[in-house]
Amino acid sequence: MPDGYFGSYLTLAIYSLAMIGLVGGTLGLNRLVSPKVPGKEKMTTYESGVDPIGSGQSQTTIRYYMFALLFVIFDVEAVFLFPWAVVFEEIGVFAFVEMMIFVAILALGLLYAWRKKVLDWI
Amino acid sequence: MDVNFEALLPELLLTLVACGVMTIDLFLPKEKRGLAFPLAFIGVLATLAAVLNLYGQNLTTLDGMFVVDRFAVIFKIIFCVAALLVFAVSQAYLNDDKDVPHGEYYTMMLFSLLGMLTIASSRDLIAIFVALEMISLPAFILAGIRKYDIRSNEAALKFFLFGVLSTALMLFGMSLFYGLTGATNLADISAGLAGRTDIDEVALLAILFLIVGFGFKVSAFPFQWWVPDTYEGAPIPVAAFLSVASKTAGFVGLFQVMFLGLGELADMWRPMFAVIGIVTMTFGNLVAIQQKQIVRLLAYSSIAQAGYMLVPLGVASATDGALNTQIIFSVVAYLLVYAFMETGAFAAATAFGRKTGKYLIEDYAGLFGRSPALAVAMAAFLFSLAGIPPFAGWWAKFVIFKTLIEGDGLVLAVIMALNTVIAMFFYLAVVKKMFVDKSEDTAAIAMPRSLAGAIGIAAIVITVGGFLPNLFGQLAENANFF
Amino acid sequence: MNLVEEWGITLAVFLPLLGAIVIVLTPKGMESIQKVLALAATGAALLVGLALTFAFEHGEPGMQFEKSLSWIPSIDSNYHVGIDGISLPLLVLSVLVCFLCIIYACWHIPEPGNAKAFLALILLLETGMNGSFIALDLVLFFVFWELVLVPMYFLIGIWGGENRQYASIKFFLYTLFGSVFMLLGFLALYFQSDPHTFDMLLLQESGVLDIPAGLASLIFGGLALGFAVKVPMWPFHTWLPDAHTQAPTIGSVLLAAVLLKMGTYGFMRIAIPILPGPAMQFAPVIAVLAAIAIVYGALCCLAQTNLKRMIAFSSVGHMGFVMLGISTMTPEGFNAAVFGMVAHGVVTGMLFFLAGSIKERYHTYEMPELAGMGLKIPKMAGLLAFCAIASLGLPGLAGFWGEVMALLASYQPLEGLDPTIFRGAMVVGAIGTVLTAGYFLWMLQRVNMGKISEKWKKVKLADVETLEYAAWLPLLALILVLGLYPRLIMDTTTSSVTALTETITGRSSGDDAHVAQVTDH
Repeated sequence: MPDGYFGSYLTLAIYSLAMIGLVGGTLGLNRLVSPKVPGKEKMTTYESGVDPIGSGQSQTTIRYYMFALLFVIFDVEAVFLFPWAVVFEEIGVFAFVEMMIFVAILALGLLYAWRKKVLDWI
Repeated sequence: MDVNFEALLPELLLTLVACGVMTIDLFLPKEKRGLAFPLAFIGVLATLAAVLNLYGQNLTTLDGMFVVDRFAVIFKIIFCVAALLVFAVSQAYLNDDKDVPHGEYYTMMLFSLLGMLTIASSRDLIAIFVALEMISLPAFILAGIRKYDIRSNEAALKFFLFGVLSTALMLFGMSLFYGLTGATNLADISAGLAGRTDIDEVALLAILFLIVGFGFKVSAFPFQWWVPDTYEGAPIPVAAFLSVASKTAGFVGLFQVMFLGLGELADMWRPMFAVIGIVTMTFGNLVAIQQKQIVRLLAYSSIAQAGYMLVPLGVASATDGALNTQIIFSVVAYLLVYAFMETGAFAAATAFGRKTGKYLIEDYAGLFGRSPALAVAMAAFLFSLAGIPPFAGWWAKFVIFKTLIEGDGLVLAVIMALNTVIAMFFYLAVVKKMFVDKSEDTAAIAMPRSLAGAIGIAAIVITVGGFLPNLFGQLAENANFF
Repeated sequence: MNLVEEWGITLAVFLPLLGAIVIVLTPKGMESIQKVLALAATGAALLVGLALTFAFEHGEPGMQFEKSLSWIPSIDSNYHVGIDGISLPLLVLSVLVCFLCIIYACWHIPEPGNAKAFLALILLLETGMNGSFIALDLVLFFVFWELVLVPMYFLIGIWGGENRQYASIKFFLYTLFGSVFMLLGFLALYFQSDPHTFDMLLLQESGVLDIPAGLASLIFGGLALGFAVKVPMWPFHTWLPDAHTQAPTIGSVLLAAVLLKMGTYGFMRIAIPILPGPAMQFAPVIAVLAAIAIVYGALCCLAQTNLKRMIAFSSVGHMGFVMLGISTMTPEGFNAAVFGMVAHGVVTGMLFFLAGSIKERYHTYEMPELAGMGLKIPKMAGLLAFCAIASLGLPGLAGFWGEVMALLASYQPLEGLDPTIFRGAMVVGAIGTVLTAGYFLWMLQRVNMGKISEKWKKVKLADVETLEYAAWLPLLALILVLGLYPRLIMDTTTSSVTALTETITGRSSGDDAHVAQVTDH
């Protein structure tokens, strides 16, 4: 094993190369030996068994983006809330206040979204 | 955990103000949205009062992450004052541009300012990183806030991409230091690095990454590419905010990390700053000569100014505390003067542009005949940026020269001296346009009181400061951690 | 009298600044009030200057009216001012010429007008010039030195002639280029002195004996570059003809009469006494350059057809005599230099006034078009002849003493300098005086004599007017008085320049003693 700080990176590099080689090798082998009989059905995009409609690059409404953003906000909030809940008894009032501030600031974001009519459907 | 709320008071207050401005603005009827300006202005004034209240104290809280000392307080004062000036300029600008939402604009500025106040007190890599992000993220939005303007979009996107990339690299650099010393507190890092000889390559790499991050913030070569486009596309007050407050924040972080955390490794980073500083100022000045647009000219000049402020770090010493004190003194002194002259120049450009809609240097022809006061003020700012007495800029350059020679950087000093002569060329070109050339248009440039006030205050400060530089000197002497 | 001794020199510097501020605050268009204010401010400064002259202990070598106040403690710089026999004549010259310029401005403000800005800039300029002559602190000196740049730039750039943009930027960049190196030299001196100081007197006394010779020469070179551009010494003179030719009359007068002296004064006050060793090394070089300047200036004058440009080139030659005097390092040479500076200030200042007034009447500086001026406006022509003859160094008029003493002094330079070089310079300089006489007389022939050109035959031109007389008479009188009674200046300067030479010899021998001491070890 190579030593030193960069040595450990070398290990990582060797490992990565091996993995890339392995994956690439098997896929490449598959490509080499498998028979190819292309047909119209086979070449269409797979969409859960439903026939695709329209072009591949259709537009999606911006609302999905808004929802995604809001989702991330509350997702992150949850990430902090769970561990906080676990140790809540031990750390007491201070943590409670802190978390309330955190939630309040996030709620402010929600308030903003609401006033800017992001939450209205259509 | 012990929290010293007294030490945190300015930041807490500002958080409340920022949230308050945003919330109130949400419920304001459309015709009253101008109310955001006085609210934000008074909020920052209150914060400034809270900051001044802390002057002279030494407080430490949040496990040593957050420190209130003279260094921190003086920079907080600079940030607040710069913000107030920028607000005053913004008001006139926003009233003309109907597309910019007032509430969001001031809220973002306030949050960015919050990050700046925080970074002045941060003595921990994580705190510094969070503070830097807090400065940058609202700034991205501010750069693109004229969302119907394609230039503004470009400004924001460029700024964002460069910013994110450099932040990522900086974070990597920080993590390397954490890996080396097992600490994120700057004092602990310094202790952990002391006497270590086995870490040359890693430390070098880590320092490089850190410099990328801060280099982006202070717009040092080669991380300055976003600057001209972003300044040009963003609203001018935002450009002023970026070039003054945001840049100063970058220097604050740089000082803290380099001197408090990595002082032991000065031999390693000293040459980097010498080279970066020289290249930055030379690049900025040479490219500025060819500019035809005033904001781009100011952008390149601000790059060159960053070079002047970086060079002193090129004579830093691992052992000589007195020299390091002198270095910090000189750069802080420069930053103090710079805050006024740069904001002033941008404010004058705003005043001219908002009435005429023109931003080319050519359009400034005959300004002296049209609006003598504005022309004189602009000339004062430009001469100050060039370092010509009687404006305070001479003293800022002087202390930098003094530091360089004290640190045996005679070559650096000579190159910088040549640069000041080159720079004079393009500053004079603008002055010449305003005073010597004639224009067909003879209408005076009217401006609202807030804008005139900001320009007037900045002009008076740099003129009085030019005769009595000790006004700045005393502040700068106090702003030192050693 | 106490006020004068205590605050006199400070007042002389800041009264004009105060005047400038007040003028800026007056509303636009109140031209007569602004003129009165400017007259009052410069007049007050002139009175202070005269009071100083009477309060001054003539014949005392040291600094007088010294004043030291804390100014920028963070960089160890003080507001330290004072004057001695070298600075007093220059200070008086400056306040006098500025006052006369304001009188002249009352008569006529050049195109494009705007008396307010014009007068305020002249007053600001006066502050910078007076300040340079009294500053005893390097930083203070630097600030005053640079302070003249901005107003002069505007004077040339706004009120100048056809080609004013080029001339003003050239002036600015040239001077700035020199002065940044001067600044670096100041800083190097600061760090070489022990204890660190910017104080000129301390640097002179104890200051910088221990500098390694190479570094000392380097520092001297930096300082000399800054000063030489301002003088201007050949080959750094190229900004001068352009600046002079394009500047408005008052700008040219101030430039010639006072601004150029700042450079030579810098040599005598800073570069030579603080670094006598390198000064002795560089002295022959300076002498040679000075000799070149004398001849070169004269030859260029011969080639000019533009009256004003010719006078500008004559400045190069005259300042060459001043530098030649300085380079000898003897009391006689220094005396010649100070006398030459004042004489050149008075005479050439007057010549520029005349050139300006001639231009007002003829709208040109071209000598062929001016022909026959003696018939057209005889008084003006007479004054021109008087000043030209004074300038070429006729005995009995002011220009004579500076030149002849500089030449005499260079026959026997200070011990330790190679006399052959200086005698060579003397011979060249003497040839220069002949050429000087040549071009001035030729100029008189072309301008005053000859036939009036067709264009001007029918036109009636006003001869010298009252306000012009008011502005000029003091200078004309001085030309005569200084020429007949040179002791007026010499009595004041002699003791100070002798002390200066003693500083050089003392310090040089001190250097030797120091070297001997080192070799002993």
